[in-house]
Amino acid sequence: MKLKPFITLLCALAFSTAAHAQSVIKIGAPLALTGGLADEGKKQKIAYDMWLKRVNDAGGIQVGDKKMKVELISYDYQSDEKRAQQMAERLITQDKVDFMTAPFGSGHTKVVAGVAERYGVPVMASVASSESVFNQGYKFLFGTLAPNGGLIDAMIETFGKQMPQVKKIAILGREDVFPRSMAATMQTAAEKAGLTVVHSEFYPVGALDHSASLSKIKASGADWIYITGYTKDLILARKQMADLKVTAPVVTMITGPAYQEFIDALGPLANGVSSTTWWHHSTQYKSDDVFGSTKGFYDAYVALEKSDPDYVHASAAAALIALQKAIEKAGTTDKAKVRDALANLDIVTFYGPIKFGANGMNAGRDLPIIQVQNSKVVVLFPESVKQANAIAMP
Amino acid sequence: MTLLAQIIANGLMLGALYACIAVGFSLVWGVLNVINMLHGSFIVLGGYLTFFAWFHFKISPFVSLPIVCGLLFVMGYFIQYLAINRVITRPVLTTLTLTFGLDMILYNFMNLGFEATPRRVSLDLGSLTLGGVILPVDRLLAMLLAFGLTGLLYYVMRSSRIGRAIVAVRMDRDAAALMGIRVGHIYAMTFGLAALMAGACGTLMSVVFPITTNITGLLLGKAFVICVIGGLGTVPGALVGGLALGLTESIVGNFMGAQYAILFGFLIMLALLITRPTGLIGKKGYE
Repeated sequence: MKLKPFITLLCALAFSTAAHAQSVIKIGAPLALTGGLADEGKKQKIAYDMWLKRVNDAGGIQVGDKKMKVELISYDYQSDEKRAQQMAERLITQDKVDFMTAPFGSGHTKVVAGVAERYGVPVMASVASSESVFNQGYKFLFGTLAPNGGLIDAMIETFGKQMPQVKKIAILGREDVFPRSMAATMQTAAEKAGLTVVHSEFYPVGALDHSASLSKIKASGADWIYITGYTKDLILARKQMADLKVTAPVVTMITGPAYQEFIDALGPLANGVSSTTWWHHSTQYKSDDVFGSTKGFYDAYVALEKSDPDYVHASAAAALIALQKAIEKAGTTDKAKVRDALANLDIVTFYGPIKFGANGMNAGRDLPIIQVQNSKVVVLFPESVKQANAIAMP
Repeated sequence: MTLLAQIIANGLMLGALYACIAVGFSLVWGVLNVINMLHGSFIVLGGYLTFFAWFHFKISPFVSLPIVCGLLFVMGYFIQYLAINRVITRPVLTTLTLTFGLDMILYNFMNLGFEATPRRVSLDLGSLTLGGVILPVDRLLAMLLAFGLTGLLYYVMRSSRIGRAIVAVRMDRDAAALMGIRVGHIYAMTFGLAALMAGACGTLMSVVFPITTNITGLLLGKAFVICVIGGLGTVPGALVGGLALGLTESIVGNFMGAQYAILFGFLIMLALLITRPTGLIGKKGYE
């Protein structure tokens, strides 16, 4: 007797899921929600969910003449490479996802992309910047970050134009994967661009003092001081530069000013420091995606999280926007056709332009160069979203 | 010539900062024979307390210095009195494990409460120029504090009742107890004093250096190296060790490159361990 309503309910549920299954696009997301990469994995999840909510509130993605809702299936792979591979297999073979996203970082992206390639599932990578991931000949992998080298070329060009007096560069890099690569790449790029490298040095992880290096940089007479490292290294370096009266017209710290805590901790000393990053919320792009503009994304994020988004959030949301646009263009959820649409995509999103190169990396990106002016971050480049000209260090 | 003078000045000022980091650690190790894994976290806690007092209530670090010192002293006293005293007579590995565990608790609480965001009291005191050599004022203060703390400790150990009691307990615990010294209380006082010094160092560090929970291990490692170089069992050991390490890092950093500076610090430590296990000025029996 009492079972009857339950049976009715179960039947209704069964029917609704059957109907659901036909008109839903499934995206699989292996995420590092626990373990060493948990902070970064959570950033991706927040951005995916923001996009998902907006798309589904609008009725879903337009596929041909009907709208299809989107379902995001995510698993925590615990920052473990082997599990990432298992989860990718499971998403494709058991959950039968149509498309996938890649986890945080170049290493894990490579693993997941390898699995997806085997099954011909398009995979969107939002946080992989090493070219070694994209030179494997994968046809189904697309990444929204530009190569590390792109960050540096744009910077040399911009300062070359806006600060033509700059001829001598001093480079100080942290002995660590990303900071080291950014320092080494700068050395080659600067020499190629005709700048004189007057000082080049690496400092070890765990350095509590930069006075030796800074005294040498001071003696070298550089007019561009370029330092890479993590926020605490850069705060210390800037503070010691002030203490030891080391200065130059251009002072670049990768990626110091991209983080608000750098500016907070330095106060007036942050003024004049420039940097580059894949995305900054000060850029102002108008777009016809679910966020409408950079400000639209920024406001939505701040309302949700009460803090500023960084490039990881933006790139993750942009990866799904690119996928959405490709599905709409293809007019089908057929994996091979969507893959072709992705390869030919050329759009402007809240995150900036997206156009995938032959290797699948975003090539259509003018990467923002930023500078702290009056304790606020302003954009110096690209021209289309420029807010101010570079000023010499006070 | 000016460059050479600057290199030496940089080294001495860095060395003074190092001495500040190590002086409390050296006291606990020398007197209690406890390797205090909590030391780095104490410094960071002192730094955070100073930062928040400055950020929320606009209290200058100079004003909060005695308050932070007091709080850390009380905290140190009770940690020793309630926890470490229970295992103080056991082998050094037991106390090491205990302080390691306590450090994990404190570290994770700080991570939860303060997050790992680097913060700094953005108070810039400027620099003095003496004959072409630039001396940042906050580092000079660190130097003053290092000498002050060492001097004070020296005086306390030599001339005060509590200091004599600490020395007596270190020499012979049982005999001291028979003479009517409350050994548990003396241990707790020593540990409290060390925590106080860590707090003072933290206050100063928050002006010089961005404070984040990530650096607790780094500070502890430095304290360890400095104590081995300077030697244990004498009050000026940490000062000598700190200055020696600071000078080495500055000179090596200048002539060989920054990437070798830390390496050389460790090489000196290894060389001393082999040839002179008591450190530069340590007493025999304390190694």
